Amino acid sequence: LCILIGNIGLIFIMPTVVVMDVSLSMTRPVSVEGSEEYQRKHLAAHGLTMLFEHMATNYKLEFTALVVFSSLWELMVPFTRDYNTLQEALSNMDDYDKTCLESALVGVCNIVQQEWGGAIPCQVVLVTDGCLGIGRGSLRHSLATHNQRSESNRFPLPFPFPSKLYIMCMANLEELQSTDSLDCLERLIDLNNGEGQIFTIDGPLCLKNVQSMFGKLIDLAYTPFHAVLKCGHLTADVQVFPRPEPFVVDEEIDPIPKVINTDLEIVGFIDIADISSPPVLSRHLVLPIALNKEGDEVGTGITDDNEDENSANQIAGKIPNFCVLLHGSLKVEGMVAIVQLGPEWHGMLYSQADSKKKSNLMMSLFEPGPEPLPWLGKMGQLGPISDAKENPYGEDDNKSPFPLQPKNKRSYAQNVTVWIKPSGLQTDVQKILRNARKLPEKTQTFYKELNRLRKAALAFGFLDLLKGVADMLERECTLLPDTAHPDAAFQLTHAAQQLKLASTGTSEYAGYDHNITPLQTDFSGSSTERM
Amino acid sequence: MKIFSESHKTVFVVDHCPYMAESCRQHVEFDMLVKNRTQGIIPLAPISKSLWTCSVESSMEYCRIMYDIFPFRKLVNFIVSDSGAHVLNSWTQEDQNLQELMAALAAVGPPNPRADPECCSILHGLVAAVETLCKITEYQHEARTLLMENAERVGNRGRIICITNAKSDSHVRMLEDCVQETIHEHNKLAANSDHLMQIQKCELVLIHTYPVGEDSLVSDRSKKELSPVLTSEVHSVRAGRHLATKLNILVQQHFDLASTTITNIPMKPTFSVFDQEEQHANTSANYDVELLHHKDAHVDFLKSGDTHLGGSSREGSFKETITLKWCTPRTNNIELHYCTGAYRISPVDVNSRPSSCLTNFLLNDPRYKIDGSLEIPLERAKDQLEKHTRYWPMIISQTTIFNMQAVVPLASVIVKESLTEEDVLNCQKTIYNLVDMERKNDPLPISTVGTRGKGPKRDEQYRIMWNELETLVRAHINNSEKHQRVLECLMACRSKPPEEEERKKRGRKREDKEDKSEKAVKDYEQEKTWQDLERLKSILERGKEELAEAEIIKDSPDSPEPPNKKPLVEMDETPPVEKSKGPVSLLTLWSNRINTANSRKHQEFAGRLNSVNNRAELYQHLKEENGMETTENGKASRQ
Repeated sequence: LCILIGNIGLIFIMPTVVVMDVSLSMTRPVSVEGSEEYQRKHLAAHGLTMLFEHMATNYKLEFTALVVFSSLWELMVPFTRDYNTLQEALSNMDDYDKTCLESALVGVCNIVQQEWGGAIPCQVVLVTDGCLGIGRGSLRHSLATHNQRSESNRFPLPFPFPSKLYIMCMANLEELQSTDSLDCLERLIDLNNGEGQIFTIDGPLCLKNVQSMFGKLIDLAYTPFHAVLKCGHLTADVQVFPRPEPFVVDEEIDPIPKVINTDLEIVGFIDIADISSPPVLSRHLVLPIALNKEGDEVGTGITDDNEDENSANQIAGKIPNFCVLLHGSLKVEGMVAIVQLGPEWHGMLYSQADSKKKSNLMMSLFEPGPEPLPWLGKMGQLGPISDAKENPYGEDDNKSPFPLQPKNKRSYAQNVTVWIKPSGLQTDVQKILRNARKLPEKTQTFYKELNRLRKAALAFGFLDLLKGVADMLERECTLLPDTAHPDAAFQLTHAAQQLKLASTGTSEYAGYDHNITPLQTDFSGSSTERM
Repeated sequence: MKIFSESHKTVFVVDHCPYMAESCRQHVEFDMLVKNRTQGIIPLAPISKSLWTCSVESSMEYCRIMYDIFPFRKLVNFIVSDSGAHVLNSWTQEDQNLQELMAALAAVGPPNPRADPECCSILHGLVAAVETLCKITEYQHEARTLLMENAERVGNRGRIICITNAKSDSHVRMLEDCVQETIHEHNKLAANSDHLMQIQKCELVLIHTYPVGEDSLVSDRSKKELSPVLTSEVHSVRAGRHLATKLNILVQQHFDLASTTITNIPMKPTFSVFDQEEQHANTSANYDVELLHHKDAHVDFLKSGDTHLGGSSREGSFKETITLKWCTPRTNNIELHYCTGAYRISPVDVNSRPSSCLTNFLLNDPRYKIDGSLEIPLERAKDQLEKHTRYWPMIISQTTIFNMQAVVPLASVIVKESLTEEDVLNCQKTIYNLVDMERKNDPLPISTVGTRGKGPKRDEQYRIMWNELETLVRAHINNSEKHQRVLECLMACRSKPPEEEERKKRGRKREDKEDKSEKAVKDYEQEKTWQDLERLKSILERGKEELAEAEIIKDSPDSPEPPNKKPLVEMDETPPVEKSKGPVSLLTLWSNRINTANSRKHQEFAGRLNSVNNRAELYQHLKEENGMETTENGKASRQ
């Protein structure tokens, strides 16, 4: 038996919060050889433009918010898919006073929790110049007082939701290392349980180097995951969204993170009822994509009501696509497809409704290993129905081979004896007594319960109990009413005797596997119950 | 996560020396007075458990919870110590269950109070514990073999839980020193052995237990590092239920467990475990059941701030319990729930009636096991998918044969790896049947959806059908010689279309047109794609007023079924448009609807308006103009 933990909601979303430093230090000019003079904030805006453009093309379903901060913070653009609005906001930023990172991070917590709660993973892109403020509210001050926090003014990191914190520094490494800025920023990542990374500009501060820094962020965090979904000869190019995270099976013996294949091969289908609701590492949308002849992506296959359908979308929607066939079939048949993600790593494809009208093809990843779902047994042992001697689902589809029975039953399924609480012991003794009073009708149950108690008492070395119960049975014998069946007295005496022998602990009578059997009497022939 | 953490190997060392036979001095009433028939009878004197019994049942409870939640990879080695060490089981998975341990303990029996205390010591057990920790487990062996040159990554850590009755703090220190010394020695031995592993980390948990009412001679001490390899902690605990509580706390700490209490579980007298004779038999009260499980199960609750913390649990275990309210499952509702984790559970109070009612309810369904074959079944499954998808049209209007009930007997067997004689016979029958249909000029379910006009002529329909059937059969001819025979039969039967003679009479003009349809057949795929584009376009056009976009997805279930299933669409072998008798098929309904909708959007084709019985003679003007062939430009093939 398992306890299942889950939640409901928009799982395939991984929103981004861009947190932009608009303190005065961001207006420091950058010495460029060319004619135009840039400030650091211009470089930052340039990088973010690049990020937004990339997302508008590849992550159009994703939500992004823009926060600016100095000593105060402000939500410039709430979560949106409209990258034009975000872009516009970038060009409308004013300059303010000093940097106060902690309050901005508190702001991010509030914004994300309000919009998405605590379960949706969120990427936070912090853009700053590495000047961490002065005095109260500066990052140095925040970190220095980190250990003196109470629950009410808890430091915002780690974020109270699954997160990655990417710090984009409008400064190069040498500049950051000349102060303790880099150390402080690294502390931030550590405080976020190591979830995140610091990016610095390689070489002189210029547009080209900012581009290459944001390029690295995009490669790391915003590269769409493209794969080929295969089922025999049927194939479809798909985007898996959000991109599956590498998974570490065992940090010690297998520390290399596992990444899923880009060939996702369907190996079979199984009823939803059989797979039940399995635990999964993550869930993803599987979106068909159209590739043109050169192999470039021309758009995702799903249409979004909020956006103009571009021609690529239209084409993608009209070419028969295996994804559509698969999705519809899974939905109609109430089945899931088992998909191979890598060596000894599987997942499942299924249809999930996100509203009454719309449903999506989804993929969930199981934990890597030969047997991720114990009730299905080893994945490699699942095979086609036609291979079975007789249909495991029955001719009328009225049974199922799943769940598989575990080899060793769990304690709750095997009638274990626990006498830690007196009530446990008392219940077991009373069961014997109750059946003793209904001899000979209950002969079988009487001896079954008696033997169970005997076994446990022997294992626990609780021989006094055997003596005590023997005494009790002897007393019961003397209390038998005149109307009692004569066999009752014989059985009680016999049972009491056997218990007493066992209580001596001599191996002959105290064998664990030995069972007390009913006494064969002249009367027992008339009894309907036999062992 | 680390598989080979300290929790991988647990060694219990339980003292079996004479003093452990002493009573724990906590009485258990076992002769409970039963109402209305006990007048004048004095109940039997209460009994009490020995220190040994308390130690054994508490450690068994520890193991029970551990095995329930971690049936694999968490192993116990049980040792009892008196004049020597008795190792009751091994690290192998088969030895890891309560029955084995109980049987072994019964064989050992209670300590002998008359044995010579001088010969007996817990030290024998502790030495054996270190020795056993050096022994490699199946899991360690497997991991090492798998990792090959990285075998050193496989850790060897473990925990020794020693339950004894110590004399004093210095006695405890002596035991600790002994363990440290033994580890040192055995690690040296292990360094030169293939079968042994050096102990990297050992947690020693010393539990001093003594009768209730006595003063403890040993003081508690929290975990302390004695060496880089060894840590030790000392617990001084009264025997009886205090010892059981302590081990319950420890199992939760050692295996990162947490507690959840399921509240308000309805318990009706009809529940099978409910014994009618017991109290409350006729009441249907609600009960609470406390469960233990890995504490990760609580992470999401704690994160969401939605803590259903129900205060500390009743039995005084060390952590707070989270309460969840029982929801009776709606049994016929099969759907996937999003589940981030499934955690094995173990009831805290396993044989209390509420617990057993709950677990029995949850366990109550029939199970049996499936036979595995010698080959890897999953590979066979992939193989089967490969065969089934060799020819698989994606859209219903792309296919004729998968819309025909008459083809099913062939299509369902041709994908098999090998055919029986009976299969071949059935395939041949299917082909003959189709020939018969063609001779009778039976209509075929060629889709007219999205096409202008009423689709290809009857003889063209058959040509398309035969071509498609040939494609299907050809995709499988390499499976076996019998598949080859099916193709031979097919080729023989379709080689002489009956109307061929007649066609020759019709002369050259007609032949030109045939070339076009020949091309159409060749360009089958492209052509159908085009048709489909047309069709989808019409759906999309109407989408805003009539159909939600979901219809596009809904459409796909109409796609052909795997051939071994019944097709969803019954064709009745009647063409959609000319349909007049019998039950109306879904496709007919659909096509009629589309046709009606389409007809509203365009001017009716003149040919159809002038048709007689839905037949219009084409190229009537040619009759008059005699021999002008200028108008053909490919449109014909689209009809």
